[in-house]
Amino acid sequence: MSFLPNLPLASIDAIRPVFMIVMGVFLMIVAWRMAKESKGWAVRLMVGGAFLLCFGYAILIPMYEAGMIERFHPVAHLHDPATAMGWHAVKLVVMNAGWLVFGLGLGLHSGLVRMPAAFKFSRTQTISANESVA
Amino acid sequence: MNLLLEVIIANGLLFDAFGVIGLGLLALAALRLVREKKSWGGSMMAYGAVALLIARIYVLLAPHVVDNDFLIAVGPIGISLMMALPPILLTFGLAGVVWGLWGHEKWLKEKY
Repeated sequence: MSFLPNLPLASIDAIRPVFMIVMGVFLMIVAWRMAKESKGWAVRLMVGGAFLLCFGYAILIPMYEAGMIERFHPVAHLHDPATAMGWHAVKLVVMNAGWLVFGLGLGLHSGLVRMPAAFKFSRTQTISANESVA
Repeated sequence: MNLLLEVIIANGLLFDAFGVIGLGLLALAALRLVREKKSWGGSMMAYGAVALLIARIYVLLAPHVVDNDFLIAVGPIGISLMMALPPILLTFGLAGVVWGLWGHEKWLKEKY
């Protein structure tokens, strides 16, 4: 595992990974800023999804592009197949679950999908003093 | 091989479907933001999500669709488009989603 000898940061070759890093971190920051102002499952899901995507875009994909992780392929001869497969599984889960959770969060935020009643925490209803009870 | 790992690798389709469903939800939710709340960030987010969705579906389908006849049929320009478009769509799709989310957050701050 060498630290990318021929790929200096912010060269033309490295522009896409650097862009991915910036975008992933920025996504996390924006989701975090939204979460500061509101509460509920929508922002919880959005922050969770943004966290997964930030990990995927800012750490996993640049590591793949820099060659620090071998790309998994079922028939190719790999230096260390077990590690490559483990990272492949991590990538599959992080990138796909990240978009799913983030999409669900934004769907809840925009009112596209509603929260199932089972996830809503019931508040005890109290009847105020000046409310008539028939 | 570890059973859990085996399940994850063998059922790659399951996780890819998760990703595609998530991006579809993202695009629909962004469109709803545009139509109902008139948030300008939503349209950027919708463009980004659709670009990501197209690129992802292409990457998923390409191994099953592309063969020699297909390559001959599309010709050299088609082949170079096939090589160039997915990274461009993935890059600008991500940028669109992030920019749109930023715009929506700013819009929320201004409105409330």
